[in-house]
Amino acid sequence: MKVYIYKGFERFWHWTQVTLIVMLALTGFEIHGFYELFGYREAVMIHDRTAWAFLALIVFAIFWHFTTGEWKQYIPTLNLVKEQIGYYVTGIFTGAEHPTNKLVYNKFNPLQRLIYLGLKMLVIPVMVISGFAYMYLNYPNDTFVLGNLGPVAAIHTMGAFFLIVFIIAHVYLTTTGHKPLSSIQAMITGWEEMSELEAKEMVKSEMEYSLKVAKHHLITDKDRSAFLDEALQETEEKLGVKNRLHDVLSGSGAGYFRLDTNGDYIEVNKAWANLYKYETVEEIIGKNFSLSRSEKSFAQLKGNFDQVLSGETIEHGLVIRKCQDGSIGYHTLTMTPFMKDNKIIGVQGVIINIDRDNASKLQWDNE
Amino acid sequence: MKRILYIFSILVIPQFIVYMIITRTDNQCIVDTELPAEIEVVNYTKKADQKNILVADHSKFEILQQEFERPQDVTLACLSCHTERHHELMANNHWTWDRTEKLAGRDSVVTLGKRNMINNFCIGINGSEKTCVRCHIGYGWEDKSFDFSKKENIDCLVCHDQSGMYIKAKGAAGYPVEGLNLNIISQSVGSPKRENCGICHYWGGGGNNVKHGDLDKAMNSCSKDVDIHMAIDGEDMSCVACHTTENHVIKGKAYAFSSENKNRATCTHCHTDAPHNDKILNQHGDRIACQTCHIPEYAKANSTKMVWDWSTAGRLNEDGSQIHEADADGNHNYLSIKGTFVYDDHVKPDYIWFNGTADHVLLTDSITEIPVQINTLMGSYNDKGDNCESTTCSKIWPVKIHRGKQPWDPILKRIVQPKLWSPNKGDSAYWVDFDWNNSIVAGMRYSDLPYSGEYDFVETEMYWPLNHQVASADKSLQCVDCHTTDNDGRLAKLEGFYLPGRDHYDFIEYIGILLVLLAVAGVVIHGGIRIVLRKNCLHDKK
Repeated sequence: MKVYIYKGFERFWHWTQVTLIVMLALTGFEIHGFYELFGYREAVMIHDRTAWAFLALIVFAIFWHFTTGEWKQYIPTLNLVKEQIGYYVTGIFTGAEHPTNKLVYNKFNPLQRLIYLGLKMLVIPVMVISGFAYMYLNYPNDTFVLGNLGPVAAIHTMGAFFLIVFIIAHVYLTTTGHKPLSSIQAMITGWEEMSELEAKEMVKSEMEYSLKVAKHHLITDKDRSAFLDEALQETEEKLGVKNRLHDVLSGSGAGYFRLDTNGDYIEVNKAWANLYKYETVEEIIGKNFSLSRSEKSFAQLKGNFDQVLSGETIEHGLVIRKCQDGSIGYHTLTMTPFMKDNKIIGVQGVIINIDRDNASKLQWDNE
Repeated sequence: MKRILYIFSILVIPQFIVYMIITRTDNQCIVDTELPAEIEVVNYTKKADQKNILVADHSKFEILQQEFERPQDVTLACLSCHTERHHELMANNHWTWDRTEKLAGRDSVVTLGKRNMINNFCIGINGSEKTCVRCHIGYGWEDKSFDFSKKENIDCLVCHDQSGMYIKAKGAAGYPVEGLNLNIISQSVGSPKRENCGICHYWGGGGNNVKHGDLDKAMNSCSKDVDIHMAIDGEDMSCVACHTTENHVIKGKAYAFSSENKNRATCTHCHTDAPHNDKILNQHGDRIACQTCHIPEYAKANSTKMVWDWSTAGRLNEDGSQIHEADADGNHNYLSIKGTFVYDDHVKPDYIWFNGTADHVLLTDSITEIPVQINTLMGSYNDKGDNCESTTCSKIWPVKIHRGKQPWDPILKRIVQPKLWSPNKGDSAYWVDFDWNNSIVAGMRYSDLPYSGEYDFVETEMYWPLNHQVASADKSLQCVDCHTTDNDGRLAKLEGFYLPGRDHYDFIEYIGILLVLLAVAGVVIHGGIRIVLRKNCLHDKK
């Protein structure tokens, strides 16, 4: 199964970086005196120009990351770092599953986040700054003159060695995907091949993500109609699972339900039944939705239910459900009218489970 | 198909464009060996544009239409039209043979010159003036009693003769040889040509190209291989084209005598301080003298003297006659009067930091350092001047180092001045009597200096910044001549600063290479285990 991971700009950015860093390394180590390749003078000129090109690319990339919000992908987390290291040290040999999944909105595992952030915040700035000093603070005519080129050159050289080590590890780790070449293929085409299990996990997360995004839009955007369609469509595009949404839904962790105008369950999927801790789907069919709430929250639900019946789409935000065994769960709820022959004959909705830990975060998001 | 095109356009085409941009060949930066680029200069009229206007035909001047008895009469005739010029000449160090300057590293201002200095060639003129002043622009300097204020003793002809007939005699206190037709010679006068300057500046130290190494009689008529400026098939420039002169003040410094950074003839006078079409090369000019790259070797036509060992002098044939030994090129290996020599040609210069100021060993100085530094060219990497706005910023300069072994007084720890020349035997002159002690006693007494009575020979070094025998651009030094880890790199021995391509820090190299090797080893081991356990790997066990 293939999933769309890398957008066009990212791939352009990545491969341009490859070209530039390879050229910087080849010319840089020639200038350092390791070998003769381009000729010293050419090497210096190429290194200089490449550095400027690299700087231009960095500016573009920063712009892109901030306008698209992709910079959040680099927010470091220690969550699962241990598991990720454990995977590379042992799990990978026994064929264990990856402890983390690659997702469009979370395409780096926690180790990658740390390493890439380190590269971006530490190694690259140090290389740029020391490179500038090397090039432009060297001669007495310069406004600020270095006492000696040595320390700057030492830092620049050390940074270069770190980058070489990074490249070796980075290229090697691309082979740890679903198949040895699937990561590289993904960086070229944007689509990464994944195992069924990973893809399924991914679909679930994508749904959650898309709905969250849709919800966000609803809060800020007055146009509430057809948001679910939009969200699903977006998800479909990202996943490349066009017209298979129903399958996806039934296979995902998102619960689907349909009520008639009285509020009786007509249809629920397996995931819904699981979330409410019913053994089978049949147990709930025909029963009233008042079962799923505490008395107090049901009044609110009822109000929304009536609104949906009048044609509105309601994004309910966080709700607390009462499960069959009396326990409590959290989920987000989205309800739209269910139409047949242009008449509203019921209400359908999607619920997405939320861990207790994440629930508070989501509430915070809503505020 | 559309997708492939899309991928191609965002991944492959940008790489191609980026590669083309960063490796673009900059035409300006390439030395075209086929067609020499037109070099832009200022303050100089190129040969093709020069108009030779004869200012005055001296043969038509009545005062020169006479049979001159004495050379002084010619001088007086000159001065009768060129009145007051003698004041300029008498202030010129070609006349005074000294200059009053502050020695670098010392507080005192001293008056120094050929008159009272020592070198590690013929050591010094004291006691031997009569022969040494063959290169003085004057007549009659036989000893200390010479009157420097007598204008008729100025020798105009040695510099201004254009007939090529004017020759100064050996051991004749600066007088020309007997029997010259001073009438014709005086009518020929004009602006000095290479031959006029060269007769002394080529031949200093007792032979052609002996001293400087970059001033050689071959440069009277040379090809571009020897000197790009003076080549007769090129600009055919004379000495005074660069050593521009106004009121007989000639631009140029010889740091065998000079100490201060002033009145120097510079490359940038014509070539500006941004002569390259390449910013990085121009920046190099902030710390590197033009000469460093553009004079890759010296003594290109004839050999120059690299070593002069006086300590072996005095060996004579059994019949008492002097020994002359020469190598296949005709360079002396040994002379009884002077000792042992080493000559060399096509010599790679030594390189030093130099800021245009110098110190000199004086006959009154106590020697503290062996080899004795006859002259010390000041400068270091850390001497950056006032952001180099001033010219005192040290630059890397090419120098000829002449190594000597010459007499000194090991008790008083001073270099000594022997009397070398005399027309007569028994006059204590070493070149006649071959007695060191007597010659030193005589020389030191003549110089009013103490002598312990004991002498020995001490190693000395003298530094000659190179300025001539400039090479064409394509034969100049290239980046890797200096930016190299090779031990024979041009700057391999110049320490105290970090030179990219030459220098590195061992610990950085070791850590860096170790990390890279560890990474490779990690990949090999990790990957190896994965391959061995392939069945379990890669999630496709199903």
